[in-house]
Amino acid sequence: MNEITIIGAGMAGLMAGWQAAKQGKKVKIVAKGWGATHWLSGCIDIVGYYPVDGTEVVENPVAAVKQIITDNPQHPYGLVGLDDIEAMISALKDECAAAGYPLHGELHRNWLLPSAVGTLRPTCLAPEMMIAGDMRQNSPLLIVGFKQLMDFFPNVVSDNLNKQGITAAQAMVDLRVLRERSFINPVILAEMLEQPAVQKELANQIKPHLGQAERVGFPSVLGMDQAMTVKKELERLLGRPVFEIPSLTPSVPGMRLHHILTQAIVSAGGRIENGMEAIGAKKENGKVTAVYTSTAARPHPHRSQQYILATGGILGGGITTNSDGDVREVVFDLPVTAPLKQVDWFHQDFLDKRGHPIYQSGLSVNKQFQPLDDGGQPVYGNVFAIGTTLAHCEAIRERSFEGVALATGYALARQLGAT
Amino acid sequence: MQDEFNLLDMAEVPLHEWPVEQTLDNCIKCNICVTACPVAAVTDKFPGPKYEAPQAGRFRHDMQPTPDASVDYCSGCRVCNEVCPTGVRIAEINARARRQITKDSGIPLRNRLLGRNELLGKIGSYVPRLANFGLQNPLSRSMADMMFGIAKEAPLPTWSTKGTFWDWFKRTRAQRLKSEKKVVYFNGCATMYYEPFIGQAAVAVFEHNGYEVIVPPQKCCGLPMLSNGEFDAASEYHQYNVDHLHDYAAKGYDIIGTSTSCTLTLKEEAPELLHLTDERSHKLSYATWDIFEWLRERHEAGELKTDFRPLNMVLPYHAPCQYRAHRVGKPALDLLELIPGLDVRESTARCCGIAGTYGYKSEKYQIAMDVGAELFDFVKTQGSQVEMTACDSETCRWQLEHGTDLPSRHPIEYLAAAYGLYDLERRALLNE
Ligand code: SF4
Ligand code: SF4
Repeated sequence: MNEITIIGAGMAGLMAGWQAAKQGKKVKIVAKGWGATHWLSGCIDIVGYYPVDGTEVVENPVAAVKQIITDNPQHPYGLVGLDDIEAMISALKDECAAAGYPLHGELHRNWLLPSAVGTLRPTCLAPEMMIAGDMRQNSPLLIVGFKQLMDFFPNVVSDNLNKQGITAAQAMVDLRVLRERSFINPVILAEMLEQPAVQKELANQIKPHLGQAERVGFPSVLGMDQAMTVKKELERLLGRPVFEIPSLTPSVPGMRLHHILTQAIVSAGGRIENGMEAIGAKKENGKVTAVYTSTAARPHPHRSQQYILATGGILGGGITTNSDGDVREVVFDLPVTAPLKQVDWFHQDFLDKRGHPIYQSGLSVNKQFQPLDDGGQPVYGNVFAIGTTLAHCEAIRERSFEGVALATGYALARQLGAT
Repeated sequence: MQDEFNLLDMAEVPLHEWPVEQTLDNCIKCNICVTACPVAAVTDKFPGPKYEAPQAGRFRHDMQPTPDASVDYCSGCRVCNEVCPTGVRIAEINARARRQITKDSGIPLRNRLLGRNELLGKIGSYVPRLANFGLQNPLSRSMADMMFGIAKEAPLPTWSTKGTFWDWFKRTRAQRLKSEKKVVYFNGCATMYYEPFIGQAAVAVFEHNGYEVIVPPQKCCGLPMLSNGEFDAASEYHQYNVDHLHDYAAKGYDIIGTSTSCTLTLKEEAPELLHLTDERSHKLSYATWDIFEWLRERHEAGELKTDFRPLNMVLPYHAPCQYRAHRVGKPALDLLELIPGLDVRESTARCCGIAGTYGYKSEKYQIAMDVGAELFDFVKTQGSQVEMTACDSETCRWQLEHGTDLPSRHPIEYLAAAYGLYDLERRALLNE
C-alpha cells in the first residue's frame, strides 16, 4: 500500500510528490493528463501584482507576501509562511542547477521580463535561458521569429516594447529545415535547434539584422534537453547575450521544468501514473480508504494512508460547475467556498479588472492543509489539499500561480514527512 | 472486489453512452497531445493528434468524404489520450476515422490479411515448420513486401512447433488443478498459435495460487480488424466472445487475459468503437482483467503467494502503450518488484513503435523503428549485464527483440520462474 497518493500532476502535486518521496515516503501520483506545467511560462511567479486591483508591479515579493499574510491570513501564503517559501525556492534552484538548467532570482526582487506580446511581466525565478531579457536594464534588443512558427510574431513584441520606450527591432528567419516540413510545433523546432548546422544557419540569417542590438530574444524554443548548450552556442555565434520569451502552449520551458521534477520524483522512488481520472472515493469512519480512477472497465481503487488533492481549481478541472449552478469538488465532494448564486459568478465585462468571483472559489483548509466543513472541522482525517484548489487566493491576477502551487506542495510534504 | 464498485455512484462512471466523437468538444487546443505523439515526432506525414481528431473530426460526416487521409498514419498507440488534460478520446476518434476511409475506398488485401491474425495463426499451425520457413526466408519476405506491402524486415512471429495452447491444455487435462476458486482464461491468438508457453506460465501461476483455470471457446478479440478499419468483421468476432463469455461474467467469474490488447478490446475498444451499449457487452467489460491487474488485486487483499525465489538479474521493463490504455497503472511493475534479486528498470519510452500491425506495413516500418528508438536506447543504457527484457504485449516484445537483439519475455514468465515453475531460457514449465 502507498503511504501517500497524490491526485494531480501539476506544479503542486509534483512538488509535494518529490518532497515526500525524498523524505522516504512511498508516494504515487495519479493524474488525468499533463496540465499546468505544459501551459505555464517556465518561470516561478511568487507575487507579481499586489494589491490585485491596482496596476502596481511588485518589485519585492517579500514585502508583498508579508502584506498578503497581514491582509488575508487565510491566503495559502498565510498557511505556508515566508520561511517555507524561501526553503522551497532554494530546493528548486538546487535541483534545477544539478540538472544543468539553472534558475535565477531572489525572493526579495522580481525580474521584469517581456511577454510574447511585448508587455512586461514580473516574475521571481527565471531560467538562465530568459534572464538576459530583463527589462530593468535598458539596452537595445532584437526580437527574432521563425516564419513557420505561427504562434510568435516578433513585430508585435518589438512594436509594443517601442511604445514603452524600449528600443527593439525585429527580424523573421526562414530556415531551410523548416521550409522542408509541412508541420512544425514548438517541441519539434526546439529539437531541431539542438543541431549545430541549424544553429549556424540561424545565426547567419540573424547577423545582418543585428544593428545596434545588444541582446537577442527568441520565442522559447531554443532546445529541449540541450537548451543551455544551444543558448551558449548562439551567444558565441552572435557575440551577444541571447534570451527566450515564453511563447504559446505547449510551453517548452514548462516542459523542461516538468522533466526535471518528474525525474526527481522517479529517482526518489516515487511513481507517476498518467491518463487516470479520479472520479470518486470510498469513505469509512471519517477517513478516505480508496480513491477511484476511471479505467477501460471498472473503476480502479487506489488504497493509501493519506491523500493529497492537487487537482487545481476551476481552471485545472478539480472544481466543476454545472448548469444548475452547483459548484463541486470532483473527487471527494468537499465543500467549496464559492459565490452562491450563479449570477454572481461573473462580472459583466470579460476583462473586468476585479476578476470574476467564480475563480476565487476553492477549498478552505486549516494550517495542516485539511479541507474544512462548514463548522470549521476537518472533513476527513487523512485528506489534504494544496495548490490552486485552495480558496482565498486569486493566483492568476496576483501572479502567484507557481508560488502558491509549489509552496503549498512543499510545506505539506514537509509536514507529512516529519510524522 | 465487486462490492467496492457498487459503493460508487454508478451514474459517475462512464459507460460508453455516447460516441467518442463528442469528446472533441472538450479540446482546449493546448497542443500537449501534439508534442507527446511519438509518430508526429518522427514523420512529417502525420501532423499530430490535435489536427486529426478534435480538428479534422469536426469535418467528418458519414455522408462526406474523409477530410484527411493522413489519419492512416496514426498508429493507435493512445499516448495522446494519456496526456490530454481534458479527456478527448483522440485515438478512438482516429480509429473511427480510419473506418470511414475504408468505407470510402475499400480495405487493401494487405490490411485484411493483417487483420486476420487468428486465421493466419490457424493455417500456419497446421504446418508450422513450413510456415516458419516462409516467414524467415528472405525471398518470400521480399515477395510479400512487393506484393502485399508487408515490410520484409518487420518482426513477424513464428508458429509454435509444439502444438497450440489448446492442444497442451487438453493434453494435460488430467494434471490440471480442480478447485472451488475458478478463473476464466482468455488466451488470445498469439498465445494460441505462437507462444503457448505464455498460457502455460499463466495457468501455472493461477494454479499455484489455488485457482482452477477454465478456458472457454473464444475467438480473436477483433482488435487487428478494428485498427485496420474492418468494423463489421470485428463486430462478428466480438459478438462470438460476448456469447461465449458473458455467462461466466454473469456468474461473477473473472475473465483474465495475458494479452494486453485482447483484454483492452474486451473491456473498452470493441464496445466503444462499435458503439455497443448493451448490458452483455458491459458486463463482459467489467468482468475482464489483465492478468497482472488481477494478481495485484489478490496481492493487495493479502491472497497472493509470495514464496518467490530470487531471480538475480537486471530487467528493463516496458509497460506497453496498449497496457497504459487500460489506465490501471503498472501492476506488472508492482509485482515484479516483489521478486528478490530482480532489479527492474522502468522504461518511460512512449511506444515501441509496432502498435499492433502498424509496423508490419512497408510504408510504416521505418516510422515504427524510429518511434521505437527511444525504447531501444533505454535498454542499451541499462548496460551490458542486461540479458533479457520484459513487456506485457506480444507484438511489442517481438519489436523489442528486433530493435535490441535481446530476448524479451512476458512478466508472467518471470513470475512463474520466481515461483520455481518455469524455465525462462527454454520458455517451458519445469515439470514438463
Ligand atoms: S494514437 Fe498515438 S500515433 Fe495516433 S495520434 Fe495518438 S499519440 Fe499519435
Ligand atoms: S491534449 Fe487534448 S485538449 Fe490539448 S490539444 Fe490535444 S486533444 Fe485538445
